[in-house]
Amino acid sequence: MPDNRNIYKPIRARLTDVIEESSSIKTFVMVPENNFSFKTGQFIELSVDGIGEAPFTPSSSPLVTEKIEVTVMKTGYVTEYMHMLKPGVFMGIRGPYGRGYPVEKFFGKEVVILGGGCGLAPIRSLLYTLESIKDNLVKVTLCYGSKTPSDCIYKPLFDRLNNTEKFEAYRTVDKADKEWDGSVGVATTLLNKIKINIKNSVAVVCGPPIMMKFGTIRLLEMGYSDDQIYLSMEKNMSCGLGKCGHCMMGEFFVCRDGPVFTYDEIKDQPDIWN
Amino acid sequence: MRYKCIHKNEWDKAIEQLLLSYTIFASVENEYGLDYELITPSDIVKISYNKPKPATSLKSFFLPVKENVTSQKVDEKPRIILGIPNCDIEGLGLLDEIYLDSEFNDVFYKKRRENTLLIGSDCFGVQEHCHCSSYNINPYSEDNADLAVINLNGTIFLRILSAKGEDFVKKIPAVQSLDDKDTISSIEKEQLVTEKILSDSNRGLPDYKETCKLVTNAKKNIWEKYSAKCVSCGACTVICPTCTCFLLIDKPGFEKLKQMDACQYPGFERVAGGEDALAELHNRFRNRYMCKYAWKPEKFKSLACTGCGRCIEACIGKINKNEIFMELAK
Repeated sequence: MPDNRNIYKPIRARLTDVIEESSSIKTFVMVPENNFSFKTGQFIELSVDGIGEAPFTPSSSPLVTEKIEVTVMKTGYVTEYMHMLKPGVFMGIRGPYGRGYPVEKFFGKEVVILGGGCGLAPIRSLLYTLESIKDNLVKVTLCYGSKTPSDCIYKPLFDRLNNTEKFEAYRTVDKADKEWDGSVGVATTLLNKIKINIKNSVAVVCGPPIMMKFGTIRLLEMGYSDDQIYLSMEKNMSCGLGKCGHCMMGEFFVCRDGPVFTYDEIKDQPDIWN
Repeated sequence: MRYKCIHKNEWDKAIEQLLLSYTIFASVENEYGLDYELITPSDIVKISYNKPKPATSLKSFFLPVKENVTSQKVDEKPRIILGIPNCDIEGLGLLDEIYLDSEFNDVFYKKRRENTLLIGSDCFGVQEHCHCSSYNINPYSEDNADLAVINLNGTIFLRILSAKGEDFVKKIPAVQSLDDKDTISSIEKEQLVTEKILSDSNRGLPDYKETCKLVTNAKKNIWEKYSAKCVSCGACTVICPTCTCFLLIDKPGFEKLKQMDACQYPGFERVAGGEDALAELHNRFRNRYMCKYAWKPEKFKSLACTGCGRCIEACIGKINKNEIFMELAK
């Protein structure tokens, strides 16, 4: 039933820590003043007081409810201000919004996760969730690409995953530096290196639009069907409520019907890759 | 349909009394044409009945151009809006679906809807671009409003459309019952005349479903051709009774201003990093047509175009959407 709650009003959250992940990416650790929980893959509207608001998918575990972490790349007006914030200030949170990853549909399957750049942020939250339900999964394989070795975020995550039963993590870089002795090439090239039973598998793709596009094309070539590929779509989700119209993608409001879609659901919509 | 009636002079006196407890807006003819205006006692005689259609649409009474949605209070004084054409009444259907949905309902919109009595007006005659009946909308209200008003031969007839409307007329002692079949059939005759003019003046215009198919299959060259005269001013969306896209603007203290926005403005879909699916003018232009005739109908029961024709009147590039549909239908 409709109630009289104000859907536009954020709750306050105290910024308790700012972690520098790379030269352009920081993780903001916040403690909300009110109870706040989310499902992995859902997003929040995070505001810098008096400056603006933008949508982010939390990078922390949904199982941890006393704090929330959001990993942000400095890429526009709001995020530039966000990167100047120091612990102690208050931020505003609305949400959580949208449809996250349907992890119960992953039960009994292998999960391949293809990530690029800051797209690893929502994926980290998903990985925490998958770790908590690993008894129900066959295998989880992460394939992640960053522009350079220093652009890679959450570096300790990879060793930890590789030491976790049923988990494997691979990294590549577009451009190597002197110390790098790993794979070179875009994230999709890692898909050639992994062993996977495609029939009993789902694929999750999250990253910059260009990677989402070519990642999906590669997965389809490998034999994945349209409904086995889960995409976390990025549009201008402004209100998060299915009202403001900014994130319409054909008949879908990405904020309400997504942000996680199967490729099957959205393949006929216009301009899904930009 | 049940009718009540009241002598026009008594009705005008009743409105004067109602002004003590209601804020009343009504369609009034001014030097620029017909529009909704705030009514004071001296304006009552200027209220225009049964003429299509106010220059601006009904939506701004429920969704102001700009409002503070974090600290502002909605005026609790009840309102009457009098003389609303059915294209505007039907337009509220989509707004209700969007703003009163069960998960996220907009309290500002909800309070204004609850506070407002809607008195529709049967359209006698049409304006140049009226085409409601092409989309199966009548030029008179049978539901969705609380009352409908007809001014005929010195008498005001009130068609009762809701329980709220029925309760309201009980507050006006001079209102009488009407069972005179001849009078009712003369009202219906007026309705039929308007319907006939509408169907004659819009002969060949595709209906809603056909329009959906036409715009969905239209090639890029059509959008490029017609958008060549578009300057992205957004007048078509501002004036539209069903376009309600908005922007949230942050103010200190985590306050938010909600301001009307339009998909016709550059940057509407731009995301951080610069990607913008609607960067090109012809894509923004097409977006409005697809949204109204193909995408919104997939998601909502109410129509996203009620055939009021205001977008055609408002366009400074003289773009006529119906000319596009006629060309596509050829």
